[in-house]
Amino acid sequence: MTTELSYNGNSKQLSIEIDKKYELTDARSINVNQINKLTTAIIGESNPNFTPKPNDNLSKMIRNMFETGIKNMKQNKMQEALKNLTLAIEMSQRKRAPYEAFQIQLQDVQFMLRQKIDLELILGKNLEALQDLEMLLNTGLLDPEIFLRKTDAYLKLKQYNLARVDCERGLSLFPTNPKLKVMLNECNRRLAEYNGDI
Amino acid sequence: MSQSEGSSFYTTVDVETKLVSVYTPLIYGSLLILSLIIFGSQYRKKQIKELSELKSIFDENEARDLYYELKSKREEDNIHEKVIKAALLNRGAEAVRRSIKLKELSTQIEIIYKNGGIGDDYWKRFQNEVKLVDLEFKETLQEAEMLQPGWVQLFVALSKEICFNQALSRRYDSIARRTETCIKEWNLKLDDNGRLIE
Amino acid sequence: MPQNYDYDEGSETWPFFVLTMVLAVLLPMTFIQLKKLFRNKSDEEIELEKVNKTDKLSSISDLLTNKKINKFRSKFESKTSNLFNWTNLFICVGWLVVAMLVQVISNNDKIREAAIGSFDPYDLLGVSVTASDKEIKSAYRKLSLKFHPDKVAKDITEEEKNSLEEMYVQISKAYEALTDELVKQNYLMYGHPDGPQSQTHGIALPSFLVNGLVTPIVVIFYVLVLSLVLPYLVSKWWSKTQSYTRKGIHIKTASHFVDRMINYKPSEIVTVDLIIEWLSHAEEFKLLFPSLNSSDFKRLLYSHINRTSVKDSEEDIKFRIVAKCHRLLNGLLDIACGFRNLEIAMASLDTFKCIVQAIPNTEYSEILQLPHVDKEHFIDNSEGIHTLGKLFTYSDEKIGKILGVKDEQQLKETLSVASHLPILKVIRAEFKVPGEKFVVTSSVPHLNLKLLVRSAKHKYIPIDKFTDELLAEEEDFESQRDPFAMVLEQPLLPYSYAPYFPTKRVNNWYCLVSLQKDNKIIQTPVPVERLSFRNLDKDLDKRLIKELDDKNFDPSEWEIGTFKVPLGQPAPKEKGDAYFRIVLKSTDYFGSDLDFTVEMKVRDPVEEKVEEVYSEEDEDEDSEDSEDEDESDEEDESDSDYTDIDTDTEDEDEDESNEKK
Repeated sequence: MTTELSYNGNSKQLSIEIDKKYELTDARSINVNQINKLTTAIIGESNPNFTPKPNDNLSKMIRNMFETGIKNMKQNKMQEALKNLTLAIEMSQRKRAPYEAFQIQLQDVQFMLRQKIDLELILGKNLEALQDLEMLLNTGLLDPEIFLRKTDAYLKLKQYNLARVDCERGLSLFPTNPKLKVMLNECNRRLAEYNGDI
Repeated sequence: MSQSEGSSFYTTVDVETKLVSVYTPLIYGSLLILSLIIFGSQYRKKQIKELSELKSIFDENEARDLYYELKSKREEDNIHEKVIKAALLNRGAEAVRRSIKLKELSTQIEIIYKNGGIGDDYWKRFQNEVKLVDLEFKETLQEAEMLQPGWVQLFVALSKEICFNQALSRRYDSIARRTETCIKEWNLKLDDNGRLIE
Repeated sequence: MPQNYDYDEGSETWPFFVLTMVLAVLLPMTFIQLKKLFRNKSDEEIELEKVNKTDKLSSISDLLTNKKINKFRSKFESKTSNLFNWTNLFICVGWLVVAMLVQVISNNDKIREAAIGSFDPYDLLGVSVTASDKEIKSAYRKLSLKFHPDKVAKDITEEEKNSLEEMYVQISKAYEALTDELVKQNYLMYGHPDGPQSQTHGIALPSFLVNGLVTPIVVIFYVLVLSLVLPYLVSKWWSKTQSYTRKGIHIKTASHFVDRMINYKPSEIVTVDLIIEWLSHAEEFKLLFPSLNSSDFKRLLYSHINRTSVKDSEEDIKFRIVAKCHRLLNGLLDIACGFRNLEIAMASLDTFKCIVQAIPNTEYSEILQLPHVDKEHFIDNSEGIHTLGKLFTYSDEKIGKILGVKDEQQLKETLSVASHLPILKVIRAEFKVPGEKFVVTSSVPHLNLKLLVRSAKHKYIPIDKFTDELLAEEEDFESQRDPFAMVLEQPLLPYSYAPYFPTKRVNNWYCLVSLQKDNKIIQTPVPVERLSFRNLDKDLDKRLIKELDDKNFDPSEWEIGTFKVPLGQPAPKEKGDAYFRIVLKSTDYFGSDLDFTVEMKVRDPVEEKVEEVYSEEDEDEDSEDSEDEDESDEEDESDSDYTDIDTDTEDEDEDESNEKK
């Protein structure tokens, strides 16, 4: 079930017809997209022996966008700030070459996501905040603040069991954190209510 | 009265004899050895064929397939060299990912196998796959050397970075799908701003 | 020595041969069947019956079971009577054959003759075996006079004369056999005074089979049996034993599950739909119904879960595959634990619930598993009720209105089920090492859980009502040697309430143990098989009781369940703290799960003796359930042996960043 691979000579991009019937075309399209991204990045390189060194220009652009966002946040223009931050993260994900140092890309994402999450929580976008928090956790960043925010988001979304599970995990990793303890009590209280135990 | 019929100690016995040629044992021996040799070689051939037909552990091999597809179409479609390099880097990154994954899996699969959770068929496939992945990476490096002499060292470093960055990208891109699943599973009703409708 | 092959022309030997073969099979078989007929029920069966006699849920479950399911059960559940079955028939036929053979043997003159034909000198001379030489001599004299050819009467036939002569010869031989040394030796060695007779090899086959035209057929028959039939049967048996894993699932299914576990996208959230998709490719389904494919099986599973109807022809198919899911999900759970994947393990147990109760996994599942609930009505009027506990804060009448149950009798049944669904509560959870006060480095601890089985109807009972005395266990030598023995003293779990499941089943809770540090399972799941449900019959209606005091609540009357989980690994070698997440998930009931954290404080054995004097209060704190998280007095983080290399395609990033930090 080979789907037709076509090559555009001008843009140097590959494309395939996506046949929804076959699941494996999903893997194919992912790979094609990955190749296209690599092509774009390599074409920009004049030196055939390009290294993983991160692109300084891009780093500057991303930082600028990030700082605009922070400025907007300080001026209470929350929606704007969120847009800026989202854009900054997108830039880091889409514009950087896939071979640029992973550490740099990771730090970009981790740093900016934290601010984005705070904005989302302020704006009440709990589900989006939750997704971003989970991504942050997946990247290996273990921090009591993340667990606090996650528990909070779950509670706001009325998922009391999940809130308690996460809060307990946070406490297991940071047993002395007072805020987590308070959160845990709150979770238990809400759960008791949910279960008709009060 | 003691000598009567039947006391057969002293009478000669007539035994039937058949003339057998000298060559009979030789022919028998050579037939036997020949058939064993034939059987042995046929069995070995069958084993090799079975191994090559073993289904891979991984569902698909798109990274590799795409590279060879592009390589074969290079002339007729006038594919730029950098696209081929991109496809090769993608292939390298995938090989790195698979070898890390298999290393992590090998202890777990061994335990499951020893506990009788899976059968011999899977164990064979797994061991075969480990060898194949190794081979695949070596082949990729050879291709890299062919495309650009002296590139191999850099190629390995680039492949590693690309592998991790691609994983980060995939995780980031999956956020949209995860959000959808959460909404469905938790039966959430959100407004346009992503806030929970009370 | 002339060698004769004495073929069985006169049917002398083959009856004996066949008789021996038949009896060799028949005697043990008869013995086993007789034993089965008269055996008493096994201990476990008796216990199960006893537990289920008083259990309310199983009786309602039986009541509400669909007619179609009952029909299915009678068709497929092995109710082979002990008296009337094929084995007994075979045995009866066998004994008939034996009787016939005995008839044939006794009717066969030639056999008689052969039996008689053995040479017995004592019999010939008419003396007993213990006769002395003198008696033998005199007997011979007398008989020889009688039978000597010269002494007999003259007017007898030729035949008679010959037989008499033969008789005389026999008698003389007999006398010699007993007196003459040489002849005696011959007799003793060969059974005949004339020395070794011609050696006859008796073959229990009529000669036409060996010498005649039928010979090639016989040879071919032997060749076929030995080199084709026998190898075929053996290989078939061998491949059959090889094709199922230890958990009882087909190896192809196990391979499929492992394939899926390795290839599914870890970034996507695991749902019941994913597990059902995996189940639909099970090899067992294909073997049972080769004409259907995986999308058919998926469709049937969904129609079961959503309680939609299917064609009559597919009804039985649906029941069979649903019944098979029990084994499949157990196998999947095992594999998931092997891969240390908590998400998949929990999802497969959730799927189990969905399949047993035939409801999808939603926030309303806890309520919808009750009988007679009007689904649309309830979801419209749910008023934020998702749990049984919350449901019971309303009066019985109000509950009927909320659930849309109009009929009184039905409401009674619904309430009965709702109040008898077991809900677990952790009273105390701690790691114990038998013989030690606390967990010592490199010891083998087990997790000791004290559980309270309660009903959703009961008023909330705070844990502190259960004092240490009530929870204390026997601390004698026996309990140290085998700490798990006391768990086995509890009664077996009764049949569960599952009117939509094709077979009668027992609910289990599976205990998953994982490390909080990396959120991965560390050992195979351990099932809870014994727990007393006595508390469910107690009356502590939360709507009637405002507060718990000594008048309406006596903790000693409540049964405290115990469950112990052995840990697969020993405690770490250095002292420190480790946190474990324990999940107890039910296979049959929604809302019956437990999910909590337990701390393991690992201390050096010597050090504690000193600390005992100074910090007594720390010793008394046991790790209770999550409500009071213990503070660790150790500042340093644990360096437990439980940390494995933490890589996953997702967490590669984690690993990389950890390495480079």
